Amino acid sequence: MLSAEKNERLTRVGPGTPMGELLRRYWWPVATHDMATRVPVKRRLLGEDLVLFRDGSGTVGLLAEQCPHRRAALWLGCTEEEGLRCGYHGWRFSATGECLEQPGEPADSTFKNRIRATAYPVQELGGLVFAYLGPLPAPELPRYDLFVWDDAWRDIGHAELPCNFVQIMENSVDPYHVEWLHGRYGSFLRELGGAAAPLPVVTKKHVKVAFEVFEHGILKRRVLEGHTEEDEDWKVGHPLVFPHMLRVGAAGLATFQIRVPIDDENTWHVWYQTYRPDGGAPPQSSIPVYEIPLVDERGEYLRDYVDGQDIVAWITQGRISDRTKEHLGRSDLGVIMLRKLYAEQMDAVARGEDPLCTYREPHDVIDLPMERDKFGSAVEFRQLWTRESSVRYSPIRDQVLELFGDPVPAWT
Amino acid sequence: MRFCPGCGAALGEAAFVQEYWVAADRHVVCWCPACSVMCTVVLAAALVGTEPEH
Repeated sequence: MLSAEKNERLTRVGPGTPMGELLRRYWWPVATHDMATRVPVKRRLLGEDLVLFRDGSGTVGLLAEQCPHRRAALWLGCTEEEGLRCGYHGWRFSATGECLEQPGEPADSTFKNRIRATAYPVQELGGLVFAYLGPLPAPELPRYDLFVWDDAWRDIGHAELPCNFVQIMENSVDPYHVEWLHGRYGSFLRELGGAAAPLPVVTKKHVKVAFEVFEHGILKRRVLEGHTEEDEDWKVGHPLVFPHMLRVGAAGLATFQIRVPIDDENTWHVWYQTYRPDGGAPPQSSIPVYEIPLVDERGEYLRDYVDGQDIVAWITQGRISDRTKEHLGRSDLGVIMLRKLYAEQMDAVARGEDPLCTYREPHDVIDLPMERDKFGSAVEFRQLWTRESSVRYSPIRDQVLELFGDPVPAWT
Repeated sequence: MRFCPGCGAALGEAAFVQEYWVAADRHVVCWCPACSVMCTVVLAAALVGTEPEH
């Protein structure tokens, strides 16, 4: 059980809240590359309404949604060679917020020099547009390995989920759910559908799990039935990257699950895949982006694959899980460690310190640990993941299967 | 838990206090921002001793 006050502190992400102040010390994906075009689009991040655009010179800008003039939305606007022009009265703003033009004002007026739009720094990396909403100077955008490899294919799935981001992050330090939600429940759905065999890999029982706070967040280890501490699931493990990502995969298939708080009750979930067989992948001309559906044609939540099962588990906890009514046990110690880490880092920010995973020095790449042979076998994990995860919606799924050349598993 | 078992400071707004269960025992994880101690207070349903061989 967590008190109502602690639950509020853990889950509120708006400006001025302890968690909101912590999260504003990080760069967040605010859009996929295809969203930043000459057509301005509305985005929402950490409870703030924003407008994203790419002007005629190619500069990407992120401004507060409402024009400083008469408060009309700036997505009702036109991108010019430099900046974004409000559609209402033509005031024009640069990507850094300067008011460049006020067409209705006298030609000799200096009024525009005293007007600024709220503007946030943005950077593009690995097919995502990252934004920083915190105090300046901004830290370096972390160049995590998956974002910068030059010999990998990528695809990006995404969906807006109607729940707070913390309950999604808690799933990433909850190893036992794999054997039950995906192993037992997933196989149960297969039984109902007439499939003879349960899913492999995810049905393996956990013998023990461990969590440790380290420089990138929380490192998660597990020993599965029939395995030992010599297996990479224990020796290497994989990380929850603080404060907002899970790194998961196996050799050649490495992914980030990025949980971006839209506001207190909604999360933009990004499934960021890299495909990098031994020897590297051939060049990729562009990174495909696709939406992950939440419901079927009858409006029922899709639950017949791993990520769909996760999504329903997260959403059905409520918009903000009421942790005053939960009953945690020993199997939830990873969840407790994550909550404590958030509390500790909120306090660090309140004391004026940089929180965990803040990078102030330029760097080429940040390599993260991840087991190659996940759940005992890289091939078996790839066979499962390319068929039973959100990858099934990827427009390049068939090419990815060819890229790895793994045999078709018997359980399909 | 209202006070840190380590330093006695009040476990206020910034502290972390989380209850979980182990069988009939209530465990309360406490992290104190004043002294940085993290500890678990066990509210035991029973105290079980082990009798050495004799």
